[in-house]
Amino acid sequence: MRGLGAAIGGYRGGVEANFGDFAQEALIKITGNLDSFRGESRFTTWAQKIAVNVALTELKRRRWRDECLQDLFARREAADRGSADTQLTTEQLALQNTVLQELRRIIDEELTDKQREAVVAVLLEGMPISEVARRMGTNQNALYKLLHDARKKLKRRMEAAGLSPQEVLAAFEEG
Amino acid sequence: MLKRSNVVKLVRLLAETREIEIGCDQCFERLDSFAETELSGLDASAAMPLVGDHLDKCAACRSTLEALLRALRPT
Repeated sequence: MRGLGAAIGGYRGGVEANFGDFAQEALIKITGNLDSFRGESRFTTWAQKIAVNVALTELKRRRWRDECLQDLFARREAADRGSADTQLTTEQLALQNTVLQELRRIIDEELTDKQREAVVAVLLEGMPISEVARRMGTNQNALYKLLHDARKKLKRRMEAAGLSPQEVLAAFEEG
Repeated sequence: MLKRSNVVKLVRLLAETREIEIGCDQCFERLDSFAETELSGLDASAAMPLVGDHLDKCAACRSTLEALLRALRPT
């Protein structure tokens, strides 16, 4: 419990949280998951891991419960507009346009609806993966795998179009 | 719709994309070992490269590791 305070003290809502809220659920999870203790760490480390996960999951849920996605996107858009455009050469701009067109085409035509939704929310808008998973009716692990498949597909299609990520980045960052 | 400002962000993620990556569940299974390795002063990512790679890519799992490390460090 002492460790738990240190673990979540820095979190929004963590200081006010009543550790008793988490302790009971953490104990249930620990006793219910004893089979998964593989003896690769000290038992107390393993038990702390379960407790920390219970506390963070609950804190995130509370934090996002009242957060409206539209507000978040609006704030991000405002932040995007505020950032100054970097100076690009004509060649860089042309390459950027090609990449933009190709990525848009792949995202629109080749990703599944679920992959597209996840890519936009997690990778582009920076929404927390656990919250997007909850809203999509899945879990964090499954959503990570869905995103991994989407990234692999995007990477392969980009490379098939002659655009390797390394080359594109090099061209953008040299200028 | 993909915005111009997001292209570099997305391409950077694609550059880091590996054919084999572990998911959050497998990362969590090894997180206690990873934390102890890190606290002992060793390079945990070198010892467990797939876990390290997942932690580089997944902010949620990274925050769990950071909270666990705070819990385990002597006060």
